[in-house]
Amino acid sequence: MSMTLSAYERIVGPSAITQLYRLGKRLKGRRIVHVNSTREGGGVAEILDWMVPLMCEVGLNASWEVIRGTEEFFEVTKNIHNGLQGRPVDISHRDWKIFQDVNEANMDRLRPILKSADIVVVHDPQPAFLLPLCEGRKGKWIWRGHIDISRPFRPVWKVLRTMLEKYDGSIFSMCEFAQSLPHTQFIVTPSIDPLSPKNRDLEPAECETVRSRFGLDPDRPLLVQISRFDRFKDPVGVIQAYRLVRKVLPIQLVLAGGSATDDPEGKAVLEDVLEAAGDDPDVHVLDLPPTAHETINALQRLADIILQKSTREGFGLTVTEGMWKGKPVIGGDTGGIRLQVVNHYTGFLVNTPEGAAHRIRYLLHHRERIGEMGKDAREFVRENFLLTRHLREYLTLILALRGDVTARILEV
Amino acid sequence: MTPFAVKDCALLVRMSGLPPAINLRELRERVAACSENVLFHHFCESLLRPAFDHPDYRNDFAVWAKWYLSDRVLAERLGILDPYTVKSLEELRAITLDIFDERLSEVVAIPSAAPGDEFYFLEATTVTFDTGERVNSPKELGAAIRKMTNGSIFFHFLEARRRIPVGMDDFSAWLKGEEKKNAKYIRALGSIDFYFHSLSNLKEEIIAALAKVERKR
Repeated sequence: MSMTLSAYERIVGPSAITQLYRLGKRLKGRRIVHVNSTREGGGVAEILDWMVPLMCEVGLNASWEVIRGTEEFFEVTKNIHNGLQGRPVDISHRDWKIFQDVNEANMDRLRPILKSADIVVVHDPQPAFLLPLCEGRKGKWIWRGHIDISRPFRPVWKVLRTMLEKYDGSIFSMCEFAQSLPHTQFIVTPSIDPLSPKNRDLEPAECETVRSRFGLDPDRPLLVQISRFDRFKDPVGVIQAYRLVRKVLPIQLVLAGGSATDDPEGKAVLEDVLEAAGDDPDVHVLDLPPTAHETINALQRLADIILQKSTREGFGLTVTEGMWKGKPVIGGDTGGIRLQVVNHYTGFLVNTPEGAAHRIRYLLHHRERIGEMGKDAREFVRENFLLTRHLREYLTLILALRGDVTARILEV
Repeated sequence: MTPFAVKDCALLVRMSGLPPAINLRELRERVAACSENVLFHHFCESLLRPAFDHPDYRNDFAVWAKWYLSDRVLAERLGILDPYTVKSLEELRAITLDIFDERLSEVVAIPSAAPGDEFYFLEATTVTFDTGERVNSPKELGAAIRKMTNGSIFFHFLEARRRIPVGMDDFSAWLKGEEKKNAKYIRALGSIDFYFHSLSNLKEEIIAALAKVERKR
């Protein structure tokens, strides 16, 4: 259940909340539609889950539409996703036809809503083909890329680009992800909801229940990586790092992954992870349902160190979540993790399982640094990566789209 | 005295369209050619962008030189640059280019970043709006500032220096309406060494400076 803005006042202060209402007042009644491909699972759904109600609360007429697709469609879009993140993939003409057909079917259903909207924000590649199908559209369309497309597999990018160039603008999480496109490319970093079930404060007893449920030893250090079972998250690399440390320290590892309806590859990756974990009783591979928010929250709070050893990452909201819980993060030196993990302040950036193992050992031998870094990490998130800042940037963008988005100063 | 109209602002950051720079020579070329808005963004607007609050340096060029070019000499020379002490952004550009040129003449190999660590040139639109709040007298200013957002502090105290009267914050410009009577407030605001503060710290500094004047009255 989403909160009202006033609930966030004690976290971010009253002025930040007042500012949102003031921005919203200038956009009263504007019709904004977000479109993505899943209602549950993954960072995009989590963002929209709070953003849409809060946009409504400040005065906009906001809604969220989810495209419907076949299993075949999601296999194709997973390949597109992988290709955009740089993996060579084979996407045939038939695959692109499936992609277009599903977008067409969704357009038939969504046409009245999308055609009349003032602003349409299309999230990620799955619904990207909707725009070329929306003749006579009234509003401005923005494509929001959440993934790391800094070095895409060119054949995939070349096709997607033909769709994206028709948009009025695009949003990327980091400037490194922006591509050559004939429209303005905005930079908006994502955020977390500090009051959501995944991030709200928990009673110690709630955490202990989760500890017992999974048989975790309270007397030994716990490393936790929360992420989808996806090769780019390098769960096998995390197990390798754990094994290097386990030789000298009695640690435990939790690899907890959710799954999303638009990710058919997750099962295969999970099997690989289970194989890599073998019969080690201290490696806990947990396949959690998308609704297990409190469980994830508790696991992050029980952790001594949070890991996010991705080799590619759009932003890495699990890093933000871990930091919000006052934990240092050892993260892959990639994508949005670099924006969040400030070496030696909020955690460490690493490139290899060996690097991760080295930093795990360093922190476990300097326990005081865990507390210090965790404190810095939490404040860093409070200032930069909470939903109020994120909402403010969207409202600012929508306001700017009414005028000249390239002006230096825009009075509204 | 006409009441002071409190404005707020939010930053909308976008790609400038310039290609990224991978080494010092490319950085020099791009800085020579970029718009004043790009220069202003990388020297001044990073305070409003999501970033670590206590960076080594306040401008993006110095941070990049340190972390990605691994050139600490260059970082230190760039890091001390205070964009608010120069008359114009063109002068700031000339000084920055001079530092780049000096460094290029000193090094044997051109400092380069690794692929993936390029410098990206950004710019921003400052979207401003009237909050409807008004400050009627200098005595009320401190309390009013306490309630302001970081956006208001940035707009009135930092961004204002780019507007007419150039080099002056909005609070001082307003107080100058009755210059003689408000001289102490103007002096107090003028004494703040503001460039190296985060916006939250700057807000506290301004409030403290104004409170000091009030206590002496």
